[in-house]
Amino acid sequence: MSKRIVQHPKETGEGPKFWRSFGQLEATSEFKSWQEREFQSGASELSTDVGRRGFLKIMTASAALAGLSMAGCRREEKALVPFTTGVEWSVPGKPIFYATSRPSRRGAQPIVAATHDGRPTKLDGNPLHELSKGGSNLAIQASLLDLYDPDRARRFQQDGKEATEADFTKWATELMAKAGTGESIAFLGEQSSSRTLARLQEEFAKKFPGALWATYEPLGNDEAVAAETASFGASVVPAPRFAHADIILTLDCDFLGTESRPDTTRAFADRRKPEQKMNRLYVVENRYTTTGGMADHRLRVQAGKVAQVARQLAEIVAKETASSDLKSVVEKFPKLETFSGNQEKWIAEMAKDLIANKGRALVLTGSRQPAAVQVLGHAINAALGTSAVEGVTRIGNPAKSIADLTKALRDEKKIKTLFILGGNPVYNAPADLKFREALKGVDVVRFGYYEDETTYEITKINEDGTVPADGRKFVKWHVPAAHFLEAWGDGTAADESHLSQQPMILPLFGGWSEIQLLNFLLTGKKSDGLDLVQETFKQVTGGITITAWAKFLHDGFVKPKDSGRKVNLAFQGGSAATLVAGYEAPKTGIEIVFIPCNKVEDGRFSNNSWIQELPDPITKITWDNAALISPKTARDVFHMQAEQGNGIFKFDNGSWITIQTSEGALEIPVYILPGHADDSISIALGYGRQTEGRVGGRRANMMSHGGFGAKHTQVGFNAYPLRSSKGHYITAATSVTKLDTDKAQTTLARDLFPKGYPLGITQEHGALEARGADLVREATFTTKGEDGKEHEFEKGFARDHEWLEQHHAQDAEAEAFDKLGYPEPRSFYTHPKEGRAALNDPNHQWAMSIDLSTCTGCSACMVACQAENNIPVVGKEQVIEGRELHWIRMDRYFVSVMNGKSDESKKIDIDEPRMVMQPMPCQHCESAPCETVCPVNATVHSDDGINVMAYNRCIGTRYCANNCPFKVRRFNFFDFNMRQKENYFVPNLWNEKGMAETLQLSKNPNVTVRMRGVMEKCTFCVQRVQEAKIAAKVHAKDSSDVRIPTDSFTVACAQVCSAGAIKFGNKADAKSAVNQDIENGRTYRLLDYLGVKPRVHYMARVMNPNHAMPDAPKDEIHELKIASAKEGAQEKGAK
Amino acid sequence: MPQIFSRGANLVPAQIIAILAILGAAATGTVWYYFTPKYTKVGYMPPQPIPFSHKIHAGQLGLDCRYCHSFVETAAHSNIPAAQVCMNCHSQVQKDNPKLEPLRQAWATGQPIPWVQIHKTPDYAYFNHSVHVNRGVSCVSCHGRIDQMEVVYQEKPLSMKWCLECHRAPENALRPLDKVTDLAWTPPTNGGELAALLKAEMGPGPGQLNVKADSKLKPDEAQLLMGNFLKSRRDIHAPDANCAGCHR
Repeated sequence: MSKRIVQHPKETGEGPKFWRSFGQLEATSEFKSWQEREFQSGASELSTDVGRRGFLKIMTASAALAGLSMAGCRREEKALVPFTTGVEWSVPGKPIFYATSRPSRRGAQPIVAATHDGRPTKLDGNPLHELSKGGSNLAIQASLLDLYDPDRARRFQQDGKEATEADFTKWATELMAKAGTGESIAFLGEQSSSRTLARLQEEFAKKFPGALWATYEPLGNDEAVAAETASFGASVVPAPRFAHADIILTLDCDFLGTESRPDTTRAFADRRKPEQKMNRLYVVENRYTTTGGMADHRLRVQAGKVAQVARQLAEIVAKETASSDLKSVVEKFPKLETFSGNQEKWIAEMAKDLIANKGRALVLTGSRQPAAVQVLGHAINAALGTSAVEGVTRIGNPAKSIADLTKALRDEKKIKTLFILGGNPVYNAPADLKFREALKGVDVVRFGYYEDETTYEITKINEDGTVPADGRKFVKWHVPAAHFLEAWGDGTAADESHLSQQPMILPLFGGWSEIQLLNFLLTGKKSDGLDLVQETFKQVTGGITITAWAKFLHDGFVKPKDSGRKVNLAFQGGSAATLVAGYEAPKTGIEIVFIPCNKVEDGRFSNNSWIQELPDPITKITWDNAALISPKTARDVFHMQAEQGNGIFKFDNGSWITIQTSEGALEIPVYILPGHADDSISIALGYGRQTEGRVGGRRANMMSHGGFGAKHTQVGFNAYPLRSSKGHYITAATSVTKLDTDKAQTTLARDLFPKGYPLGITQEHGALEARGADLVREATFTTKGEDGKEHEFEKGFARDHEWLEQHHAQDAEAEAFDKLGYPEPRSFYTHPKEGRAALNDPNHQWAMSIDLSTCTGCSACMVACQAENNIPVVGKEQVIEGRELHWIRMDRYFVSVMNGKSDESKKIDIDEPRMVMQPMPCQHCESAPCETVCPVNATVHSDDGINVMAYNRCIGTRYCANNCPFKVRRFNFFDFNMRQKENYFVPNLWNEKGMAETLQLSKNPNVTVRMRGVMEKCTFCVQRVQEAKIAAKVHAKDSSDVRIPTDSFTVACAQVCSAGAIKFGNKADAKSAVNQDIENGRTYRLLDYLGVKPRVHYMARVMNPNHAMPDAPKDEIHELKIASAKEGAQEKGAK
Repeated sequence: MPQIFSRGANLVPAQIIAILAILGAAATGTVWYYFTPKYTKVGYMPPQPIPFSHKIHAGQLGLDCRYCHSFVETAAHSNIPAAQVCMNCHSQVQKDNPKLEPLRQAWATGQPIPWVQIHKTPDYAYFNHSVHVNRGVSCVSCHGRIDQMEVVYQEKPLSMKWCLECHRAPENALRPLDKVTDLAWTPPTNGGELAALLKAEMGPGPGQLNVKADSKLKPDEAQLLMGNFLKSRRDIHAPDANCAGCHR
């Protein structure tokens, strides 16, 4: 039998070009190395400064140690320690699930926490709650790790010295005894949806009417509240109903990304499936967001010019609909420049589409756009009479702003004690408030989860960058906060339902909850919080019984007694017109846009290593942020382009620029993002922290290779000092220049990385050899006629079949090859008597389907997988080496049209490419190439169709990774799980091993914690498969009914996906959801021409463009079509 | 010139080779036998904090295994009972026995009793009790005659090879579900009795028990007949004999 050689189809120079990076367009040697090798060329070398001699020394020492530990031949004595008295519900080894909720800025999220022996190990959406239906998001997944963060605030502190809880209660009791009417007391809290907190707040205000209560959220919705109040009144919030929206326009509203909730994502995705009437999405924004990636049409404009788009649109809509309210609002709105040319046409055609779909069109405006712009959005919705917006009641008490508080602190000087409840205002308050200075002379009681910038100020720094013992100035008190999994509480979901929040575990470090603290100040007694929450429950539901309370805890939510009433959403033209009249257009020139980070939010997740290591969904940057600019800005403003010629796409991410605003200056590296608006710079907030956190702190990133001569650097760059209260979202730059690193202010730019800052970007990692157009298949959704039944989207899916036809000989060869039955999936442990080969379990054959039409690329699946499968983080330097361990990666491609066959004219549009996402787990090929090359049979096929890994058998040859066409195998180059906490990101080759104690608690006990030298990859959550199988067998007892009930469990990535893009199930079960997807006409398998028969099925991405638009796809999406979709669907299938 | 080496020296290389071969064989044999779980683990009998006798409790008194190991049918782990379970009886029985002092201590202070683990699978092997006992594999198959042990020790090697031996031929271990915790039980050797037993066990269904009513069987023949019958009835076939069955 001869070896079959497969040549991947070649690019033809026509049709869509899928590209990951400028490096790919340029075909740099670095990109080629990513594409051709299983890991980057350097990844398998020890890239530290250890020479050969050093290495030998270490190896000798290791050998000697191994000799000493011969005692390992005798087993160590281990104790089994049962409870003294049995604990209700507790079955050793079985998880218990509790319904609870996670508080967040946008309302609490209903979740279910899995606990193993009292340790929460996984959070997921509450399937009973209609807003979640089991889906969750990145923040929910990652917030679990915060619980076990070894850097959490662990102690009460008074003036920087450790104190006890009793010291604090004594001090606080005395304080409150003297408080009088409370004029000397102020609070600065975060936005909260807790009804108990609101109730206590009211009680506090009754008892101490003079106390000032302010709230601050750096990414808050003050502008949105102002706009909603002016448009609909103070108590009403308009809520989008995506089910009713056929046409959606977002004006800088990232409703699938940073402004999303699991329920909004799901509601949108439910209408994004081409099997029914698809919605159409228009996006206007300045930088690519996950929402922009889903757009059918996208207009990139400066964030400051979104107002222009809105106004121009409003004018057209006002004229066409003859809405007097809208007309009066537009007239009051100050005149702005108008767009012309293509942009004008874009807006006009889009307006036409909105008006044509009157009543079923929805306009969403970004919550941080100026209130006047948002009012325009509301007014347009009202004029269009849309049914896709409903009114809901606003939750939460009105409070003062941080500006009011600062003013009171500075001018009135009455406030003697300030309680800062959560948040981190010293770090993230607008720079012009000078918040830290305003705190002088005030006793600050800091209630916080971390000891951070607000807790202390660094006054002295040693030469090596550490802070001496006396180098910090602390606030009066630091009270450690409890995690939401450690304390009683409650929350309100977006649908007004009352959510429970119950403790899963006692506070690890004796933290208090917010309601405990407030209650203590009120009553002088420390409550465990339960009575406070029950009191609120009484008020919300109108009484409390044991069964009602038990049901509340069991379900996790209850509908309040006054819920379900209709909230009137009437647009008030008068007050709206008054508001818009005050709109001031931003200054022209280069704008700085402070964007919420997709990952760390406002910085609250900055010490969360799962979050930091997650590549940003758009930029694929890990462990950092950067200034995002367009290619044109890089070329014209910063002159960052290399010489013409072959270097037309050569930009260097990481080049330094310096930005000056009215508030301050910042030296920051750039990242050139295709699809970004010109003359606009976007910087994600929440980085450049100055804490001692080992993950996100000032010395957290360890750079310049390994443990020898490593340099500690901060994580990302802090843009908060550039922000003022007015320009909190968009601000004009006073100057932006390319930085001359000799004259740089920061040591980072001047001394450490003068040639450019190393960013850990994973966009080229896992680049496949195949054409992108074969990997991601797309088509447009066209409905013919009114019935909406004739769909044309089945065209153009089967791209590699076209290639197969062209290479008919090879195709025949492939078929002959298949007939030989080689490479046959095999199991080392084939039953010798029955001779059962692999893949012959009649009851279970596992498969997955991934719908590219609904996947937004939010990357929550990556973190869910990390939590479920004990995947360690590796650190920035290791990411750069290509050693990250995520089992599922999110491939992001830019798509532009190639418009010529000859190389010279192969100019590719890098300014306005489209963007597509493709999640890539192990494909579980039925004829897996990795299995045939393993010399020790560590990776074999199971009879139910999983490509399994036996870690304890793996000897680390990495042949399998070499042979994997999808590059989904990961290798533990170091003992990433066993690093010492002091050297969190130093490759642990010679240090004593150890995992932080708290992190040990976070591990899933059902999954092996892998060690150095072992290959690993997606296992289809084999632990869940086995649990389900065992449950079915236990249930079967002596019957033969051992099939797992249809879709009764799922894998971690499918479970988290609130868009429902990933489905997992039993292919052998005709009723399973995954089977229906597999039979769908738009389903295909990756690289089918290799004959590897993947078990992961992708569903082609279908777009719904408006063909009248100037940027409508011409033919390019169909360009590569040839074979019918049927052929694509009728695969040979499993044997 | 006289020969430097005597004639006998010619044999030296051969002798060296022979000795090396013997030494090598001995070394191999030593490792082969002494480094195996059979040698290193079987018979492991550590002293326990309380000299609890399974012989008395499970054997003489006839307590069912599941009285103490109550989660064995529902969980992966077969739990060690809480002190509370011991106190169910021992608050009345043997109240003043000095051997039970650690138990009374635990009960009074709440400090649990540190029982020493005997049967241990490696961390990377995920053994599940519930699926075995619910499908008719008796405790005795892995733990031996616990009801006859004064002090519990490990009787079987619990090695991978040993696991696979059974997984490849489960018919050698299957028995009716109500006999799982009856450690002394063996299938009846009278064909008629066996058929009657299994008829009572299971209703009509696939798989036939081909035994003549008056036949006299050897014990292992009886087991094999019963095992094969139960195997087809329960659709048990080389259960998950791939790595993922135990390694995750």
